[in-house]
Amino acid sequence: MTSTIRFQFTKGQEVRFLSHLDLVRAMERAIRRAGLPMAYSEGFSPRPIMSYSFALPVGVMSEAEYADFRLVEDWDPAYFMEQFNKHLPPGLRVLHAERLPEGTPALMSEINAALWRIRLPQAEQVAVEKRWQELQAVDSFVVERQTKQGSRSVNLRPLLFGVPRIAREGEAVEVHCLAAVGNQGNLRVEELGLLLGFDSAQALITRIGQFKKVGSAYYPPLGNRGCTWTE
Amino acid sequence: MDKRLVPLLPLVTKPARYTNSEVNAQHKEWTEDRVTMALAFPDIYDVGMAHLGFKILYALINSRPDALAERVYAPWVDMQQLMIERGIPLTALESGRDVADFDLVGFTLQHELSYTNILKMLDLAGIPRRTQDRREGDPLVLAGGPCAFNVEPFADFFDFVVLGEGEEVIQEILDVVKAAKQSRTPRQETLRELARLKGVYVPSFYRPVYDSGRFQGLEPLYPDLPARIEKRVARDLGSLPFPEEFVVPYTEVIHDRVMVEILRGCTRGCRFCQAGMIYRPVRERDPEQLKEQVAKLVSSTGYDEISLSSLSSGDYTQIRSLVKDLIAAYRGCGVTVSLPSLRLDSFAVELADEIQKARKTGLTFAPEAGTQRLRDVINKNVTDQDLKEVVQAAFQAGWHRIKLYFMIGLPTETEADLDGIAELAHKVLAWGREFRTSRKRPEVTVSMASFVPKPHTPFQWRGQDSLETLRAKQEYLRERLRHPGIQFSFHEVEHSFLEAAFARGDRRLGAVLERAVDLGCQFDSWGDELRFDRWLQAFREAGLDPVDYAQRSLDPEEALPWDHLSPGVDKKFLVREWELAQQAIPTPDCRWDRCTLCGVCFNLQVANRLTEVGSGD
Repeated sequence: MTSTIRFQFTKGQEVRFLSHLDLVRAMERAIRRAGLPMAYSEGFSPRPIMSYSFALPVGVMSEAEYADFRLVEDWDPAYFMEQFNKHLPPGLRVLHAERLPEGTPALMSEINAALWRIRLPQAEQVAVEKRWQELQAVDSFVVERQTKQGSRSVNLRPLLFGVPRIAREGEAVEVHCLAAVGNQGNLRVEELGLLLGFDSAQALITRIGQFKKVGSAYYPPLGNRGCTWTE
Repeated sequence: MDKRLVPLLPLVTKPARYTNSEVNAQHKEWTEDRVTMALAFPDIYDVGMAHLGFKILYALINSRPDALAERVYAPWVDMQQLMIERGIPLTALESGRDVADFDLVGFTLQHELSYTNILKMLDLAGIPRRTQDRREGDPLVLAGGPCAFNVEPFADFFDFVVLGEGEEVIQEILDVVKAAKQSRTPRQETLRELARLKGVYVPSFYRPVYDSGRFQGLEPLYPDLPARIEKRVARDLGSLPFPEEFVVPYTEVIHDRVMVEILRGCTRGCRFCQAGMIYRPVRERDPEQLKEQVAKLVSSTGYDEISLSSLSSGDYTQIRSLVKDLIAAYRGCGVTVSLPSLRLDSFAVELADEIQKARKTGLTFAPEAGTQRLRDVINKNVTDQDLKEVVQAAFQAGWHRIKLYFMIGLPTETEADLDGIAELAHKVLAWGREFRTSRKRPEVTVSMASFVPKPHTPFQWRGQDSLETLRAKQEYLRERLRHPGIQFSFHEVEHSFLEAAFARGDRRLGAVLERAVDLGCQFDSWGDELRFDRWLQAFREAGLDPVDYAQRSLDPEEALPWDHLSPGVDKKFLVREWELAQQAIPTPDCRWDRCTLCGVCFNLQVANRLTEVGSGD
C-alpha cells in the first residue's frame, strides 16, 4: 500500500549554507535514521523516491519548503511528521504534512510564485522605497543574466508581483515581496536585490511562502489549498 | 561555531565547511574541571572529516566526563584571508572557541606535504610556533600519526609526540594533563611527566649531535629518559572502544560513509611501504563485533555506504562471510558495502563481484612494478600468472575499466622494468578485448607515482632518483603508453621530491619549514598550490640542500634521525630485507609462512591475531 506524503519544512539558520544537494543528502540520511518506509527507485543504485520544490539559494533560509515523499506503507501524516522530526538535523523541521491525493500535480509544475522576507539594515529603507517609486512607473528593468550558455538580457520587472511591503522592524527594515519562481520565469535573489536596490549577500533572506499563482490569487501547495494571499 | 565567521560565510566557497551543527557533533560544556582537546587536522574539512583516527579519538575523549574534544580544520585560502583581515583567530568548530584556549592541541601527521598547514594553523590560532616560545597558559601542542615515526623536522614545534596507536595512551595523557591543570603544574614539569608515558616523545628533551653537517645521533638531556621511544600497540583490537556515532557532514567530503576497521597492521612486507612496517602486527577484529558496530553506525548516521577499511581488506580471514552477511542485511534499504584496499588476486575479483553486482565501474589493482624481477625486489608477491588470471577474470565478470598503480624510480629499476609497465598496460587492454563480456570498450588507466624512501622501511637508505631522471622516465613511459584505450597520469615529481626530503629529514629542516610558510607555502599536496620555487628558496636560505636529504643513498651503518623512534621493527631486519631486495629474493608473509624475525612480536610482546574461520558462528 503505497502513499505519498507532502510536507512543508523549514531551512533554518543552522543549515542555511547548505546547497540543494547538501539538503537532499541530509534528508536521505535522516530518512534512514528515522526508518521511514520509503519507496526506492529501480535500478542498481536505488534512491528514495522524493521530490522537492524549487532549490533555495545557498545562504537563504526558508519557512516554506515543500517535498513529496513516496512511502511503501500508508503512514499517518502526523506520525510521519513526529518520527521524521526526531531525526532531522537542527534547522530542518517539518511543520505540516498531509497525504497527497493520487493525481496531484508535482510541486515543480504547480509552484510559480514565492513570498520573500528580506531583512536589511535600517539605513537601506530610504533607498529601497525610492527604488520602488521608480519601479512603479516602469514596466521594464533589463539586466544581463549569466547562464551556462552565456549571458542574455532579462526583463526583471514583470517577475516582481504586486506591491512590496516595506516596514520598520525593530532595528532593521523588512521587505516582503512576491516574485516569480520556477520554469515559467524565475527571479533570483541576487536579481531581487538588483531590482529593489539592496545587496543580497548582506541581507538576511527567508522564503516564507510558495504558491500557485492564478491571476492575483495565491494558493499554497498544502493545507486548505484555498487562496491565502492576494496581491 | 564562531559567530564572528557568520558575516564571512556568504563570501567564501563551500561555507558549510565552517558551520558545524552537524548530526552527532558533540557540544560539551566548558567547565573548569574538564581537560579540553582540539583535534586539529592539517587540511580542509572536506579531507579531514574522512580521518578515522580522529573519529575514534573524538568519541573516546568525549565519552570521558572530565574531558572534551572538538574539531579544527585548516580554513581554505579565501577564508584565511578574510580571517586575517578581520583579526579573527582560528577557532574550533563545536564551541567556536579560540584554538589557543584549549589545554591540548593535537595534530595528525598523515603525510609530509601537510606539514606547512600545521604551522599555518598555529599562526592563525595565535599559538607560538616553537615549543621554546610557548608560555604557561598556552596549549600543549602534540602530534601523532604515521609521520610521527620521523617527526624530527617538526621537533622544534611539537611539545610532545605520540608513537603508535592512540586509544590507550590518550587516556593516560588526559590523566596527566588533568592533574597538571588542577595543581597548576608548570609546563616543563608536565612535559617531564608526559615523557614518562610509554610511547610519548618530548623532542625538546633530546639534543641532536652533528659532525661536519652529518647527523650523528640524539642525546637525552635527562638520565631517566629512554634512548629509544617505542610505539604503543594494542594486543587485541576487540578490547578497544570504537565509536557508535560519527559526525555526519552536510557538505560533500571524501569517504563520506560508515567505516569500520576490520584489521590493523599488514605483514605482506612490501619493502617500500611504511604502513606495512609501522602498524605491525596484524590484528583482526571479531566479525560479530564488526557487524554490531556497523549496525550502530548505520542507524546513528543514516549513511548509505559501509566501508570495510584496513591496509589490505582482502586479507581479513573471514572477509567473504562478512561481506555476504552485510550485503544481505542492508540490501533492502539502499545501503551498499565497499572494500577500499583490495589486493590483486582472483579472490579479489570474486569479492568485488559480490559487492558491485550490476554496477561494474572500475577495478583497481596495484602491481607496483612492471616486471616479475622488480616485483620480487620490492616483495610485492604477485606473479605474472596472477595478474593475467585476475585481469581476465575481471573482464569476464563484466568489468571494462581496469586501473593499474605503479611506482617508478624503485631501487634496481632498469629500462626493462619501465618497458614492463607499458607492456602490462597493453596486455591488459588486449585481454580486455579478448575476454570482456561488457558491451563497453575495454579501458586501462595507469597511474604512476615516484618512489619515495620512507623511514623504517627496507628502502629507507636508498636515495630517490633525481628530478631529471624521474622526468625522463615519465617521458619514456608517456611515449610507450600512448594509445586510445590507455589513460595515464603521473604524480608530480616535485611533490615526491619534497616528500622524500621531509620523510628523511632531521631537525634542521624545521627552519626550512618555517621559512616556506613565511614565503606563502601551504596546501602543498593540492596540485596547483605547490610553490616549488619558494621551497627551494627556503632550503637555500636555511643553508640546506634538499637533494642531500632526498637523493643521497645512506650507509646502513650511519645514524638516522629516526633511529630513536621505534615501531618495534629491528633495524637488522630492515638491513636483511634491503640485502634480499638487491638479490630479488622475496620474503613471504609471516601469517602463512615462517616468522621473518622482524622483531615486532618480541620487542612489543604482541603477536599476529587472526580470527578463526567459523569462530563467528
